[in-house]
Amino acid sequence: MSSKAVIGEDRAVGNRRPAWGDMTLYLGAVGIVIAFSLVCLFFGRNFLTLRNIQNIVTQSSIIAVIAIGSSLVILTGGIDLSVGSVVGLVGMFAGALLKSGVPLWAACISALGVGALTGLVNGYLVSVGKVPSFIVTLGIMQIARGLALLTTLGKPISRFPDGLGLIMNAKVAGDMPTSVLYVFSLYFLMMFVMSLTRFGRHVYAFGGNPNAARLSGVRVRRVEMAVYVLSGLFAAAGGIMLLSRLSYADPNAGGGYEMHAIAAAVIGGISLSGGRGRIGNTLVGALILGSLTCGLQILNVPTYCQTIVTGVVIIAAVYADKAGERRAE
Amino acid sequence: MKKSSSIAIAFAVVLGLGAGLAQAGAPKRNSDIRIGFAGMTLNNEFHITLANGAKAKARELGVNIDVQAGDQHASAAAQLVIIENFLSNAVDGLIIVPSASEGLETALRKSKEQGVPVVNADTLINRDVAASAGLPNIPFYGTNNFEGAKLAGQFVAGKFPKGTKTAILTGIEGHQNAADRRNGFIEGAGDAIQVVAEQTANWEVDQGYTAAQNIISANPDLELVFASNDNMGIGALRAIQEAGLKDRIGIVGFDAVSEALNLVESGEFLCTVAQFPSKMGEIAVENLVKAIKGEPYADYVDTGCRVITKDNVQEHKDYLSQYVD
Repeated sequence: MSSKAVIGEDRAVGNRRPAWGDMTLYLGAVGIVIAFSLVCLFFGRNFLTLRNIQNIVTQSSIIAVIAIGSSLVILTGGIDLSVGSVVGLVGMFAGALLKSGVPLWAACISALGVGALTGLVNGYLVSVGKVPSFIVTLGIMQIARGLALLTTLGKPISRFPDGLGLIMNAKVAGDMPTSVLYVFSLYFLMMFVMSLTRFGRHVYAFGGNPNAARLSGVRVRRVEMAVYVLSGLFAAAGGIMLLSRLSYADPNAGGGYEMHAIAAAVIGGISLSGGRGRIGNTLVGALILGSLTCGLQILNVPTYCQTIVTGVVIIAAVYADKAGERRAE
Repeated sequence: MKKSSSIAIAFAVVLGLGAGLAQAGAPKRNSDIRIGFAGMTLNNEFHITLANGAKAKARELGVNIDVQAGDQHASAAAQLVIIENFLSNAVDGLIIVPSASEGLETALRKSKEQGVPVVNADTLINRDVAASAGLPNIPFYGTNNFEGAKLAGQFVAGKFPKGTKTAILTGIEGHQNAADRRNGFIEGAGDAIQVVAEQTANWEVDQGYTAAQNIISANPDLELVFASNDNMGIGALRAIQEAGLKDRIGIVGFDAVSEALNLVESGEFLCTVAQFPSKMGEIAVENLVKAIKGEPYADYVDTGCRVITKDNVQEHKDYLSQYVD
């Protein structure tokens, strides 16, 4: 029992990246905001307004929530490519339920159930089946997309009761979009879980060195499976948020979201080799991506160039993060 | 140092905001007007031409236009983001080419809340969805797909004898355009065609290729293929060439993409149906500017279709070349 605690503590310390990596991330984020503010000012447009900040958080919120799950999976050294399709599947599933008269709360809980179930399948095949996570989740990505299309034979669903839209489009505490509330409470919760609970320490321990974790008594299968289930749950939450935001269920929704979520995690410094990185920084990563989209669109930069800039920022973020390692060599 | 500069920026931003608000009440001159063009995509010729038509008209009228489109085809979520960003930067009006005809309820609701006029080009926004968003009368400038396909059907009826064995490649199941093109073609062609096979190829070249392969092997006496868009027709052409049936099976396309125009010119396509995307863009800008100024504007303009055959293909190419950047 005590040995478990020890290795957990050890790893929890190990996940504390040099302050330098965090600093480059935060400075980068602030730098992007200042740069956009100045350039926008020059062209007579407004970037740093309350409305734009609300827009950026709302527009990033869905990817930010999905990216919590993606980060957890990456921390164990795996990858979850199925989350985008799960967003589509969950939207169609909940949408079809709502249309057939199921109350909103029941539809949402069933939707979370669908997400957890896909996560369970992923987790079982990865942890017990020993199939590489890339392959398992690639397969589930296809299956979930197929199921989403099958729900209504490819037809989108629209015109939902007003209650659905309120989840995302209502305001709390005056003028704050509800998305702000969801994002910050989920991130605070998971930051707490990852740094102060045994589960969190075990995730880091397993990601850092699976064999050592197993030998020191971490129930590795259970930890790994739980991480995929959580990833499915966060993807489902993202799916419900998207459904509410658009009041529209599209079987192709969420296409490519897995890549945006992975991008948010790696910009935030979560190491793809597992065991290293802080969940809170994933939120910074997601907000950087959101600010880029918003800023570039306000500046009317052509769509093609926007994707190039995003690609450059992803690489630049990780490049800057690795500066410490390069120096050590 | 850093702190003082950020305060300066904040101050300047507030000033900028104030200046923006001060302008709002004044009557609009063209040079003060800024239009947001929210496109479906800018990944294909058709939509690029549409956007370029809008830009050309904006230049002519001296109004400003921002053109943005999602990096993914048909993403309602990406289009909502674009429209939100337009609205928060106080555009005076919006042109929407919807990525999905039912997908923009939230975006329309936000435009309505802000009182920004919206016009709709190319793909019709679902009327019920628009009504639930509180905008039941969004002006529409685009093509009637049913009528366009009917023209192609009539062309076929004038060229082929009764009972010509025909295969139809349809677009994505559930797309209104897909249904309209299929039904329009069948109505226009009347009893000149006998439909022996019908399959969806989801608007894609590769799926048109495999679908046509299967159809040819099941129906060796096939005489005509109607592809609901040129892409699927291009795929079908490859399958037909491989089967050595090029001289016996005719292909009718739709959209008049540049590759299809080349194929019409070389005789490998019988015909294709052209829409006039640049005209949609021009008319949308023209009417939106009127709406912004409070002048009367058109609620609906059918921008028309035209069957492109060997005889008029050069003329159509010349028309398109005006709208290349």
